[in-house]
Amino acid sequence: MDWILILSKAFWCGWAALGFGILFNVPPRTLFALWIGGAIGAFLKFTFLQMTVSVVFASFIGASAVGILSIPIAHYRHVPPMIFAIPSVIPLIPGVFAYRTMLGLIKLTGSIGTDYNAILSETVNNGAKTLFIIMSLAIGVAIPMHVMRKESAKNIRL
Amino acid sequence: MEQNKVAEAKEFGSLLLDVGVSLLSSGASCSRIRLTMKRLSITYHYQAHISIAPKSITLTLNDEDDNAVFNGMRSTPSQGVNFKTISGISRLSWDAVENDLSFHQVRDELNRLLALPHYPRIIVLLFVSLAGAGFCFSFGGKLPEMIIAFGATFCGLFIRQEAIKQKFNPYFCVFFGSLTASLFAGAFIKAGLHINFEHAFATSVLFLIPGVPLINSFTDLIDGNILNGIVRGINALMFSMAIAFGLLIAMIIYNLN
Repeated sequence: MDWILILSKAFWCGWAALGFGILFNVPPRTLFALWIGGAIGAFLKFTFLQMTVSVVFASFIGASAVGILSIPIAHYRHVPPMIFAIPSVIPLIPGVFAYRTMLGLIKLTGSIGTDYNAILSETVNNGAKTLFIIMSLAIGVAIPMHVMRKESAKNIRL
Repeated sequence: MEQNKVAEAKEFGSLLLDVGVSLLSSGASCSRIRLTMKRLSITYHYQAHISIAPKSITLTLNDEDDNAVFNGMRSTPSQGVNFKTISGISRLSWDAVENDLSFHQVRDELNRLLALPHYPRIIVLLFVSLAGAGFCFSFGGKLPEMIIAFGATFCGLFIRQEAIKQKFNPYFCVFFGSLTASLFAGAFIKAGLHINFEHAFATSVLFLIPGVPLINSFTDLIDGNILNGIVRGINALMFSMAIAFGLLIAMIIYNLN
């Protein structure tokens, strides 16, 4: 395993989470937590990816970790869990797959040639990955709150 | 006495609606809006019946004897995602529960929260550009691609903010941002730099992804607010189409494939 690559990716995903936090105007007291959250989510995702876990499940693990972490952080920083969780999972959004899907769809509007089938299967593959990764991110973030079956993070003690 | 009660209910109802629409326009999920409004209304001994539409909130308040004392509806002001408002209102609602704040105190605090400043523009631009560079690295980009992603994000976000100031349609604002960012990234590829253009191109527009509507859409669907979930999902899809359209135009201009 290439730990240096994983750690540096986690480091940069932390900055990505922080940047989105600032774009969404989070309270300044949560900025450091956001950096940590982005880094932990990305660390788990890339670690599991290197263990040849599928990209959808690896993203789900990263997002769930962020979702679970969001509850103690909500206590500690006095913010609703989503304020920590949403910017922290944004670095896990599959930008490249979404881009390839879009590009593939545009190519599919061209005339049907010999490579049309290859483009079609690639596009469907990328599109399905994009959709399922985004779904797994949303579910990963939402699950901890639902599993605990409490309406507010204030009532959850870890 | 009776008159007093009516005036009080009216004041509280309007306060509650203001809290609701501020949350809705700042990007809170439906369950959070409902939870906060119910929490406040229980504190002041009312029963709230709430209907949340995509761009408005309707509220009926009943008193303790189940008589309707207030009916109202408010549509949301147009403003972007603002997590400071959401976290402030969440704190405010707990404060009201625990410290028995009066309506006036809650109203004053709400007004203060809504007037809080955003981060300075240059800070937003720099940190979001840094986020773009970080994204680029995580997708496998190297230093040259990261620098291009940084610059593209900076220009794209700047143009988007200017477009928002000119009160363009929100999808057009995203389109302009995406077009600018991809034109910036494409210029380096066209200039013959040996870089991985997929990384530079794909990450230059990622700052525009509608992350909050996307995740809120699923949260709403899971919570059974199907209609709001669908509306937010379609909204996110429209933003994604605007991003794609900007990229597409840039690729046609540069004749890239």
